Amino acid sequence: MGIRGYLYRVNRTQTLIPSAFALALAHSAISAAEKTVDFAREILPLLSNKCFVCHGPDSNKKDPLRLDSFEGATSDLGGYKAIDPTNLAKSEIITRINDADDPMPPEDAQKQLTAEERKLIERWVLQGGGYSKHWAFVPPVKVTPPSPGHPIDAFVQASLAEKGIAFASEADKPTLARRLALMLTGLPPQPELLESYMTDKRANAYERLVEQLLADPRYGEHQARYWLDAVRYGDTHGLHLDNRRGIYPYRDWVVRALNNNLPLDKFIEWQLAGDLLPNPTMEQLVATGYVRMNPTTAEGGVIPAEFQAKNNFDRTETLGTVFLGMTMICARCHSHKYDPISQTEYYRLLAFFNNTAEKPLDGNKYDYAPVIKVPADQSAWERWGALKAKRIDLVNQAEKLKSELYKKWEMGGREERFLALAKPDQRLEKLQKEATDIAKKIADAEANFTTTLVAKELGKPRETKLLERGEYNLPTGKTLQPDVLSAMGSIPKGAPRNRLSLAKWLTDSKHPVVARVLVNRIWQRVFGAGLVRTPEDFGLQGQQPTHPMLLDWLAVEMQSRNWDLKHMLRLMVTSKTFRQSSALRDGTDDPENMLWSRGPRYRLDAEVLRDIALWASNLLDPHMGGEGVKPYQPPNLWKELAHPASNTKQYKQDKGRMVFRRSLYVYWKRTSPHPMMTLFDAPSRESSCVRRSRTNTPLQSLGLLNEVQRVEMARMLAERLLKERTTDNERLNLLFTLLTCREPSKTERNACAKLLKTMRERYSDSEKEALSLLGTGEVPRDQSLNITDHAAWTQMAATALASDLALMLF
Amino acid sequence: MDNMNPLRESELMMTRRQLFGRAALGLGTAALANALGPNLLANTAGQAQGTHFAPKAKRVIYLFMSGGPSHHDLWDYKPKMREMFGQNLPEHVRDGQRITGMTSGQKTLPVCPSKYTFTKHENNDRGVWVSELLSHTAKVAKELAVIYSTFTEAINHDPAITYIQTGSQVPGRPSLGAWLSYGLGKVNENLPSYVVMHARSKFAEQSLFNRLWGTGFMPSEHQGVLLRSQGDPVLYLKNPAGVTGKDRRAQLDALTAINQEHFKEFADPEILARIKQHEMAYRMQTSVPELMDLSGESDSTFKLYGEEAKNPGSFAACCLNARRLAERGVRNIQIFHRGWDAHGSLPREHESQCKDIDQGCAALIADLRQRGMLDETLVVWGGEFGRTAYCQGKLTKTNYGRDHHPRCFTTWMAGGGIKPGITYGQTDDYSYNITDADGNMIRPTKGKWTPGTMHIHDLNATILHLLGIDHKRLTYRYQGLDFRLTDVHGHVIQDLIA
Repeated sequence: MGIRGYLYRVNRTQTLIPSAFALALAHSAISAAEKTVDFAREILPLLSNKCFVCHGPDSNKKDPLRLDSFEGATSDLGGYKAIDPTNLAKSEIITRINDADDPMPPEDAQKQLTAEERKLIERWVLQGGGYSKHWAFVPPVKVTPPSPGHPIDAFVQASLAEKGIAFASEADKPTLARRLALMLTGLPPQPELLESYMTDKRANAYERLVEQLLADPRYGEHQARYWLDAVRYGDTHGLHLDNRRGIYPYRDWVVRALNNNLPLDKFIEWQLAGDLLPNPTMEQLVATGYVRMNPTTAEGGVIPAEFQAKNNFDRTETLGTVFLGMTMICARCHSHKYDPISQTEYYRLLAFFNNTAEKPLDGNKYDYAPVIKVPADQSAWERWGALKAKRIDLVNQAEKLKSELYKKWEMGGREERFLALAKPDQRLEKLQKEATDIAKKIADAEANFTTTLVAKELGKPRETKLLERGEYNLPTGKTLQPDVLSAMGSIPKGAPRNRLSLAKWLTDSKHPVVARVLVNRIWQRVFGAGLVRTPEDFGLQGQQPTHPMLLDWLAVEMQSRNWDLKHMLRLMVTSKTFRQSSALRDGTDDPENMLWSRGPRYRLDAEVLRDIALWASNLLDPHMGGEGVKPYQPPNLWKELAHPASNTKQYKQDKGRMVFRRSLYVYWKRTSPHPMMTLFDAPSRESSCVRRSRTNTPLQSLGLLNEVQRVEMARMLAERLLKERTTDNERLNLLFTLLTCREPSKTERNACAKLLKTMRERYSDSEKEALSLLGTGEVPRDQSLNITDHAAWTQMAATALASDLALMLF
Repeated sequence: MDNMNPLRESELMMTRRQLFGRAALGLGTAALANALGPNLLANTAGQAQGTHFAPKAKRVIYLFMSGGPSHHDLWDYKPKMREMFGQNLPEHVRDGQRITGMTSGQKTLPVCPSKYTFTKHENNDRGVWVSELLSHTAKVAKELAVIYSTFTEAINHDPAITYIQTGSQVPGRPSLGAWLSYGLGKVNENLPSYVVMHARSKFAEQSLFNRLWGTGFMPSEHQGVLLRSQGDPVLYLKNPAGVTGKDRRAQLDALTAINQEHFKEFADPEILARIKQHEMAYRMQTSVPELMDLSGESDSTFKLYGEEAKNPGSFAACCLNARRLAERGVRNIQIFHRGWDAHGSLPREHESQCKDIDQGCAALIADLRQRGMLDETLVVWGGEFGRTAYCQGKLTKTNYGRDHHPRCFTTWMAGGGIKPGITYGQTDDYSYNITDADGNMIRPTKGKWTPGTMHIHDLNATILHLLGIDHKRLTYRYQGLDFRLTDVHGHVIQDLIA
């Protein structure tokens, strides 16, 4: 269902209020009127949504009333108070929200209070009108799960029990294996792995499968994709000419970091400030590509100062989305309407990014400085690592030997010394030879290095001032020092005001939101939707977590377990909650799975759809990393849009195996990404995306069944089925096992048999058409195969690949 | 009940339950209507029911001139500039306007009158001056509302075009078309609701971006569908070689059987929705080629649009397609024509550009009128900004160039609830600044509407209004904010509305 469930139109929904309230209100209507109102959960979001526009952090000076704090709400407004603690019933707020003649919100306000909401506010005021902080701004504390056993299940079980619902039954073993493999690695389980799991009778067979998948290098590739969406990774600059940008080593670094399970706090620190670490490694520098990921331009005639500001806005606001789950954009022009972020604070935060050394305009250059030179793909990184290790090893050996020889020299008399001169030690010569060899190899490797954009601090910082209305040419007030958002902690006294301190603030265990935001997105990956269904907004306007205590428990667990991503994933996938059947349950009132009363089920992402088919057809090229690849694409799509001077005007399709690389590596032109990606909801990567939509359109059907690569994959899958199995039944078994980890049902088998029969009849009459079908794509068909069979099976495979069996995680 | 197909029954039940689930989350009624199909949205008269108020127009055709057409040479007649030929633009006229890096280094900003002849054409008001470059368009002057006072803040293409199409200068927001798709849903089940065409130009020197018809943070189903003049008219429309419609039917039957089996197990209404989408795709494979087949068009049509309309990808052909799409209920049609960015050789380039578009524009208006469709079809013509009164580069009597100009430029609207045959707004003698009715220079801002002016947010607000949508109430919540196409600005310009 994805994002569609959250469409929200104010005008039509004055009586249809967001879910958390709807639930809360439904409860309150039933339960006793005296039930204590939960300010943070029930009132604050209400005030934020309907009152803060005028009475919030950005209220104008004409209106003295502020409802975003107890002090504000109880201040004397000239003989009366919005909330009067001495006489609660006389509080102005109660009068005004019920005043027919002079109501609040005013009659012409977009957002009106419902009758239930008015009652709720009244009850809250009568109960004392107490305030507390928005939940997300209070650091999470470790809570004890409500019952023993798996902590996740304990929390979920508790809320299910309230509704009298039991966990759904566990999904069957093959379904679970498929779900798990797709979720962790983005590919179905290899047949051998599936087989070994199916026959593994040990009690921990499932856990063993989890470990095997977590250790698969495909894991890092798949998990990296979510991060690349969030940080808006692209292979082009993104604006105007949208020229090539050399930054793919960053993408490859993300894959490596995840495969090596780099703790997430380090993962963040290196990206924001790797260059500011003492003696940064090459990897730490590559990671700072994060800071350089914003779209840039060099359009003729643009004003550099304007883009210096725009680049910084983009970075500041992306930081807000990715780490803080917070919209920052309002505070660019005025203090935030809902969340406690003042305009000054926005510019203080921006100041951290205002000191980087790159020019504001990219010059349309691939190596938009500063850049460093690094190995060009994963195997080159491995070789480079080995060479560096070898170099260290040689020096160690040489040092040891030299000291031995020196000792000998020192100890020896003139005779021994003469002999040492006349007959140098063989071992030293050997080391020298090896060193010469390694030096040459290093030089060779370096000659093949590529460039990647990195962050570098300016020696002399740029001045940052607040920009009035967000206009680059209206700096006002005094120079602002870089600083963090005061609602979320502070930088330790004496710490440098640079990106490293910014990173340390984010990963501090006392930071209220970062761990929650990250853990929520991990949950979203695993379960298809977050505990907070608005992963991009944890602010006052965001949705409440379905299970607040669980979210906090997970956040603290992650922090206390060294920010270990694999541990968190392991925890989630081993839960009963994850292992439930994903079928919609009769008589269970949980259509949006807010209670997690069933397992995850959703349409897979664009990349996964392509990868599954590449994998099933044995076409997938395992090569990891390197410059983005260009598979088949309809002609002239780029040319129709691009500036004539753009170096991404021509789409030159790659040849050979590169066409079959994993979709993670498909070239990402931000102003025109691959159409099979955008058709299935991949974002453009011009701006941060932490939640993809999952739409369902007729154009997707056309793409699935007609695109060249899909057809080629279908005929290669057909070839595989024909070669590896001898009867139609066995072939169907293999086809279904590859896509669903199980054999077809009787109905499915019949439907497939019927299609095969029709297609065989049809193509036996027209070999020419069969050959045209089998000529789609560039891989030559196996000429030893019967043409009719191959064509009929191609149609069968194409159909299965377009069915929900290959589209859905279930 | 006994006669009821159990699967069908289950479908109905599940779908309904799912809808209740959605409703509790605060789904708008129009979106509900979308989920239930188009019939709730459009009654038998085809009038949208889900809109904020009765729409004046059922659809919009937006002719977008990418690059910034020169209002000086097409619409905004300023004979006094001739006396100032080559003299520096007075400082009080420039009045602090920032200048792009392309002309900020010039020693002088020489006034550059248009070399073209303007003729006054009768309209329903005081008449309208039109350049000789638009002789066809001039013939439909009585249908047009010509707006001299469109303005923007952006001075470079990428930000300016992103701004006018998405309401924000930086990427990430839904396009005007996406907002309309989201707000209005679709009428024709067999065609996309939002169609984008790229018309050919000799000077295609501006970049376009997917984002201009993209959805930003909205679900991607609202993105514009490219209708192309080469290859498949809609991407991936054609079956692969060696696959016929009959073959595809057999495939879809098997596909449906597999998916229904899947539905039996998982009861997910999305599965049923997908079965429907596969069927719609199948129908599109017939309806789109039928749409693109111009063989049924009469000679008089080609006389109206010109022979060029037989040439796929030409602007005239796109206009004819636009009319055919409009006839088939497509609500939202955009034609992008590039090449208006005339920095150096404006006469050569604009003459070619105008030749591309002039007859097509006029024909589209006349054709819609003769078919009785103009009153319900809003047609909009314009670019992302205008061009300077001063010359960029060397100024001669026969050749000149103009830089980007945001402070005023000309746009026209017609049909669909627009007052026909009027002009709106005034500019000074250099068409450099907007003026009030008395000719006094004014400096409108997006923050507050000034009568006689039209910020690009006002333009978008007015377009939405004519289609029955209140731009302040059509919101989409993302990151806790109720985003609008018009940000926190925009004013519906009633003076333009019939």
